[in-house]
Amino acid sequence: MNATAPARRFALAEIAPAATGLGCAVLFFCIMEALIRTGAISQFVVPPPSQVLGAFGRLFSEEHIVRRFFLTIGECLTTGVMIAVFGVAGGVLLHRYKLLQQAVETWVAALAAAPVVLAYPLFMVIFGRNAWTIIMMGFVAALPPVILKTIEGLSGTRKVLVNVGRSFNLSASQQFWKIMLPASLPAIFTGIRLGLIFALINVVGVEFLINYGGLGQLINDLAERYDLPGTYAAICFVILVSVVFFMTLEKIERWLRPFK
Amino acid sequence: MDTPILVADKLAVRFETAQGPVVAVDDVSFSVRPGEFLSIIGPSGCGKSTVFNVIGGLLARHDGTVKVAGELIDGPHRSIGMVFQEESTFPWRNVVDNVAFPLELTGMAKAKRIERAHHFIRMVGLDGFEKRYPGELSGGMRQRVSLARTLASEPKILLMDEPFAALDEQTRLLLGDKVLQIQQQLQQTTLLITHNITEAVQMSDRILVMTYRPGRVKRIVEIDLPRPRTSDIVGSEAFGRYVARIWSDLREEASLGMKDEEDHMLHEAAS
Amino acid sequence: MAAAVQVTKAPARGGGVSAVAWLRAGLIVGTLVIWELLSRSGWLYRDVVPSLFAIAKAIVALLSGGDYYFHLGVTLGEIALALVIGGGGGVVVGLMLGANRFLSRAFESYLYYLGPTPKIILFPVMIMWFGVGSGSKVALGALSCFFPVALSVAAGMRQIDRVLIRVGRSFRADTRQMITKIYLPAMRHPIINGVRLGLGIALIGTLLAETKLSNKGIGFLIINAYSTFDMPRMYANLIVLFVLAIGANALVGRLGGLNTIRR
Repeated sequence: MNATAPARRFALAEIAPAATGLGCAVLFFCIMEALIRTGAISQFVVPPPSQVLGAFGRLFSEEHIVRRFFLTIGECLTTGVMIAVFGVAGGVLLHRYKLLQQAVETWVAALAAAPVVLAYPLFMVIFGRNAWTIIMMGFVAALPPVILKTIEGLSGTRKVLVNVGRSFNLSASQQFWKIMLPASLPAIFTGIRLGLIFALINVVGVEFLINYGGLGQLINDLAERYDLPGTYAAICFVILVSVVFFMTLEKIERWLRPFK
Repeated sequence: MDTPILVADKLAVRFETAQGPVVAVDDVSFSVRPGEFLSIIGPSGCGKSTVFNVIGGLLARHDGTVKVAGELIDGPHRSIGMVFQEESTFPWRNVVDNVAFPLELTGMAKAKRIERAHHFIRMVGLDGFEKRYPGELSGGMRQRVSLARTLASEPKILLMDEPFAALDEQTRLLLGDKVLQIQQQLQQTTLLITHNITEAVQMSDRILVMTYRPGRVKRIVEIDLPRPRTSDIVGSEAFGRYVARIWSDLREEASLGMKDEEDHMLHEAAS
Repeated sequence: MAAAVQVTKAPARGGGVSAVAWLRAGLIVGTLVIWELLSRSGWLYRDVVPSLFAIAKAIVALLSGGDYYFHLGVTLGEIALALVIGGGGGVVVGLMLGANRFLSRAFESYLYYLGPTPKIILFPVMIMWFGVGSGSKVALGALSCFFPVALSVAAGMRQIDRVLIRVGRSFRADTRQMITKIYLPAMRHPIINGVRLGLGIALIGTLLAETKLSNKGIGFLIINAYSTFDMPRMYANLIVLFVLAIGANALVGRLGGLNTIRR
């Protein structure tokens, strides 16, 4: 029995699913291109994929998509910093004062489930049609997961680690900084990652809705100008940014994990 | 009169792995008489769980045949009831609904189902716990629920795969007593897969000792201890002799297994 | 649990419940008082923080007028349809991905990475495909909730304890019995959570679309209150919406019996 035969068969089995997935995606676009070109689908409703790809160049040269990208990212990062600071602080506070936690934790969870982003018109009234509405909207939407995960991490610290601290007679403050907080970091990072994802989604979404800002506003603009290929291209760009952002966050979190 | 109720003939099972084909079980043949308690014992890696799956009809790809009351099996046979090693109670059903499950599948009327279920719940000693959920019970109690559920289907052959493996020694001995009691009461043909020698000798009429992989029948030992038996028998001299005999067989196979694992780990560390 | 850093006495059994209740009541009352003071102080721009009475009046006016229920009906219809199409599709796809490892490895990462993207930006495309009426709202809502439902159903199928499937097979249950008596009950937590998630997301997607371009529905009412600068009415709409949304979420959770049986 050839020793490499089973190994080769297994390698094939490994890449087959990924190849199938990719193949189907490529096939789908080819079929779309064909259907649109033959007029089966109107090109005024769905532009052919080739045209959409062509519009990408325009996005960079005429629509200043790079500048817009940085604007959107800037808003996200501002939100990110805010949720990290207030979210972790809030979680620590709630964990420390158990009564407060018991009273308020379900409210925070309810906030996470509530459609807060629908209050964006309200935020527009309060902050005006500008970046602060976008940032605050992202903040409110992204805060709950950070708080909840921080509490979860702190409460979930393994008892044996706490006992080690107690066996060394650590003060409450030392216990917190040297044991509980480090032990909770994985959960806290997960919370921040979730928060950042919510932040991006809400930031881009609100930019689109209030027609102000970077990438979201670009899509709205192009749509109102009936620039179909441009609109589709901009949407694809945003989805690409979102996917890359998500993957990067995952890699960062995985890179931080082995230390815990 | 004593025609065997279960006949396994030249069972062989081969698995494909990344390192090539592995023979888990090779040329295993044995038969079980009605009302008999047969244990299959062997070291880890001897393929006894594979034999369990083949007889239970959950492993279709095998060589050799298994006949139950003269019928060739082809999938789980209605005369065989299986009790698994892992936690297998349905957490979303209470005790009585768990035990009544096989009766539900056959379409038995509700009132009759519940009555039958109560009968078997009493048999395993869990009366009073009918309305409880598995989450509220201890590990040993949950295994009793699984046992009651299988008994409720009134199988001709009870097939158990290390049902007490996850329990502590004392609970195991007491549950073993319970199983013996039930087996004697029902004259239930039982096939027990185990790695525990004490358990096997305590409960069985015969013990089939398997070799390390590829698993073959090394020896079949007749246990000539008087019935009815209880866990008290564990201390007796005859008991000790049987255990020693089986252990000397097993030790050989078990050290083969350990050596194999060590070789494996050295090989992995080097690559 | 860190016993070392407790500041307040842990609430005792029985009597402890009221301590939490007191605190909650206190927080709510305190917030309302601060609100009313802010409203009267004139610090902030006129109607940004309307008086509580004005808001209460607006809520009453909202709920007593027949108009609101028409819009509520439109929105609920859109959400329900979105949930059926997107959620239903998600369940089917999730079951397929959960059952078949090859399909899962081929396609699931697409769902996983395309899921957390802002769907509202697809609204112009939905309008082009389905028109400016309810169709585009339903489409957006369906698209939004498809992904999380599919992913949670697929994950739910994979996390079924394998031994339970073997138990079913050992009792020779047929396919229908396996699905109804084993697969579905074993997946009840992921399914209920998937439905809750799907409901919340379909709700957001549909309503945001209504705020962007519509002349009907709750979303329309909200943006309409904004454009007429009728702040008490906007607050009233938002408050009622949040109460309904949180209530629906809690109801689904309760119906699914999440508070009862563990595991």
